[in-house]
Amino acid sequence: MQPDVIIETRNLTKVYRDFWGRQKVRALKSLDLEVRRGEIFGLLGPNGSGKTTTIKLILGLLFPTNGQALVFGRDSSDVTKNERVGYLPEESYLYRFLNAEETLDFYGRLFNISRAVRRQRVADLIEMVGLDWAKRRQLKEYSKGMTRRIGLAQALINDPELIVLDEPTTGLDPIGVREMKDLILKLRDEGKTVLMCSHLLADVQDVCDRIAILYQGELKEMGRVESLLKVRDVTEIRAAGLSAIAQEEVKQVIERNNGHVLNVDNPTTTLEELFLKIIQESKEHPGRRVRGVQEK
Amino acid sequence: MVVDLSDVAPFLTWLPSALLEWMLVVACLAVGITVVAWIITALLHGPVSAMRKIGRVLRDAVGDLIHISPRRVCALARLAIKESIRRRVVVVFVVFVLILLFAGWFLDLKSLDPARLYLNFVLTATSYLVLLLALFLSSLSLPADIKNRTLQTVATKPVRASEIVLGRIVGFTAVATFLLVLMGLVSYVFVERGIAYIERTREDLPPDREMLLARVPVYGKLVFQDRKGEPIKGVNVGDEWTYRSYVAGGTLASAVWTFQNVSEEAFPDGLPVEMTLGIFRTHKGEIEKGVPGSLSVRNPKTGKTVEVRIFEGKEFTTDVQNIPRELRTPEGKKLDLFKDIVSDGQVEVLLQCAAPGQYFGVAQADLYLRARDASFPLNFTKGYIGIWLQTLLVVSLGVMYSTFLSGPVAMLATLGTLLGGFFHDFMFRLATGQTYGGGPFESVIRILTQQNVTSEPEDSLRSTVAQTLDQAAEFGLRMLAAILPDFGRFSFSEFVASGFNIPGDTLLTYTCRAFGFVLPVFVAGYLCLKNRELAQ
Repeated sequence: MQPDVIIETRNLTKVYRDFWGRQKVRALKSLDLEVRRGEIFGLLGPNGSGKTTTIKLILGLLFPTNGQALVFGRDSSDVTKNERVGYLPEESYLYRFLNAEETLDFYGRLFNISRAVRRQRVADLIEMVGLDWAKRRQLKEYSKGMTRRIGLAQALINDPELIVLDEPTTGLDPIGVREMKDLILKLRDEGKTVLMCSHLLADVQDVCDRIAILYQGELKEMGRVESLLKVRDVTEIRAAGLSAIAQEEVKQVIERNNGHVLNVDNPTTTLEELFLKIIQESKEHPGRRVRGVQEK
Repeated sequence: MVVDLSDVAPFLTWLPSALLEWMLVVACLAVGITVVAWIITALLHGPVSAMRKIGRVLRDAVGDLIHISPRRVCALARLAIKESIRRRVVVVFVVFVLILLFAGWFLDLKSLDPARLYLNFVLTATSYLVLLLALFLSSLSLPADIKNRTLQTVATKPVRASEIVLGRIVGFTAVATFLLVLMGLVSYVFVERGIAYIERTREDLPPDREMLLARVPVYGKLVFQDRKGEPIKGVNVGDEWTYRSYVAGGTLASAVWTFQNVSEEAFPDGLPVEMTLGIFRTHKGEIEKGVPGSLSVRNPKTGKTVEVRIFEGKEFTTDVQNIPRELRTPEGKKLDLFKDIVSDGQVEVLLQCAAPGQYFGVAQADLYLRARDASFPLNFTKGYIGIWLQTLLVVSLGVMYSTFLSGPVAMLATLGTLLGGFFHDFMFRLATGQTYGGGPFESVIRILTQQNVTSEPEDSLRSTVAQTLDQAAEFGLRMLAAILPDFGRFSFSEFVASGFNIPGDTLLTYTCRAFGFVLPVFVAGYLCLKNRELAQ
């Protein structure tokens, strides 16, 4: 295994069987992929495509029927590899009778982190996820978003080299989604490796360097996001301040060169960007109503 | 239950053979389970792949067991303790206190042995409450974590399965220990105050009678002598319970206890003898009175015998008497107990029944010398240590079963194992052919052919096959008897309630036995959890 390959799966297969050993579901079929150091790798696919199964095989929560998964060069069943791994599950499966401080302290102890370091890290993480005001409340009193934040905090308690995120933006509001994405990018900038799986394509497109697309347990496509998304036989030109006459002239140049104009129109922003812009303006100017666009 | 301390072996004498037997049983179990696992894996994946998988499991097991992190175990134990506290386990203590507060409503304050009543009450109440709590906590915790998937988050940390199992066992045992300490303190105060009140208010009890005792008995070796004075086995009067043998009345038949290490320094005021008899009457006689008998002492070397006392033997009472230093023969000659009767530290005590047609029933532990009294508070504490050992067994079994069974099923399995342990002696007798009627296959034939259990089996192929199969069944039953804990024996409540000191050797022996069960149970729990897909 190459030194900059953090995760490697070789012919990884998972077949779920019943009590009598009869095959029930072939969840993953001969998956070969690599996740390299310092990148954000996305696993995409519809529900039931094998994304979560892949993650659980990599983490050692499931045993492969065939093939192998290696993390930091070690077999996925080796618990020592978890020293350098942080995991945020799809739902934050945390002990609801603990409060936030106790939760992070407990997971910190599992890494044999010393008391002083642990105490500082717990305080920093609680502040990072914005839950300082609720740190002494038991998790059973938390909202879903708050639980998700603590889940993220426990995934980072050991300052891991590899962070595995299963549907990280599920259940978050748009601000929470934005913050999560920013955090993922920040982690990458710090040199960490992130493996995330999601069925929300827009979220993956915004942050991932490379993606793999699964469908019914099989790998269908894998590569860098920008190269996969590039439509090679179409050229896009964006220009500001063009009059109608100038637009007509541009069309004629294209047709003279045997090109074919597909569409001329004003580009649209995304709903997310619009939403965030409105929220930001509301914070800056409270009480003032944002004026909508007058439709002709 | 009879309190019989007569065959308690010294701990250092018991330990080597017990350790060897333990290692043998554990080795047999390990090999057996490995072979079965290989067969099952070979059927699914082929023999070579099975060998590789089993090898990897064993190699990982050695690593996981050796590299257990005490810090992680403590963290997981703390989690178990916090979980218990936040589930309000202190309610158990509140219930216990309520029971004690209202005890006066249902305890018979006019009992002839109030100390036994009070002690049995507090020890039984404590046992039931703590053991039930331990059963619920240990059986339900892990399955709930697996179902809620909280264990998945833990398993993705560098935590070994061995640490998870050990952390639970340590955590729940710590909770039970804390509750036991609290209950023990409250119980002690309750018993002390209760007995003090009874001593003040009841005039029917002798004023100088001590109630809260921890007697240290010295037992002798019992032999029976027949009518002619020759050594024999005791008479069997047909009682199903064969604990006691009988001495015929109106004859020279006697029960003789030989005591060792009897000295002036150990017994400066004479020999304090306590005895409890069984009585078997072949005719009514004087039914209001006891059966007359005599107690004598004899020099084992010279045979010089001095009758010490004539008494009326009664059942269900403990007769306390002192054999004085100064003895008199029927001729009036004075003898000194230690100079004339005790020889090289040995002395014999003879019991004879004087009434023809009546019998005295005795066992070795029925007559002893009361050497001294140990500290009652310490003995009371030892009684609670016995409950703690039982709790440790329950917690370990509960956690082990919960690694692969659902909560309620794990609870039932734990209960079943403990109940099986209660029948340990019966299983052992079945396995070693000490019962009538043969093994299970022979018994089926006897039932179907309507033969009774004592008749000889018929000489046929069917019987031969059944007996051969029974040998295999007996082997399995012997293994089962060896691995099931004899749960009842870990309780020392009867010692405390009967006023006998729990010997240190007994405490050490049973502590080692408890840990001898806990260790393989822990390893079994680890293997089950390790090889389980937590995300399945």
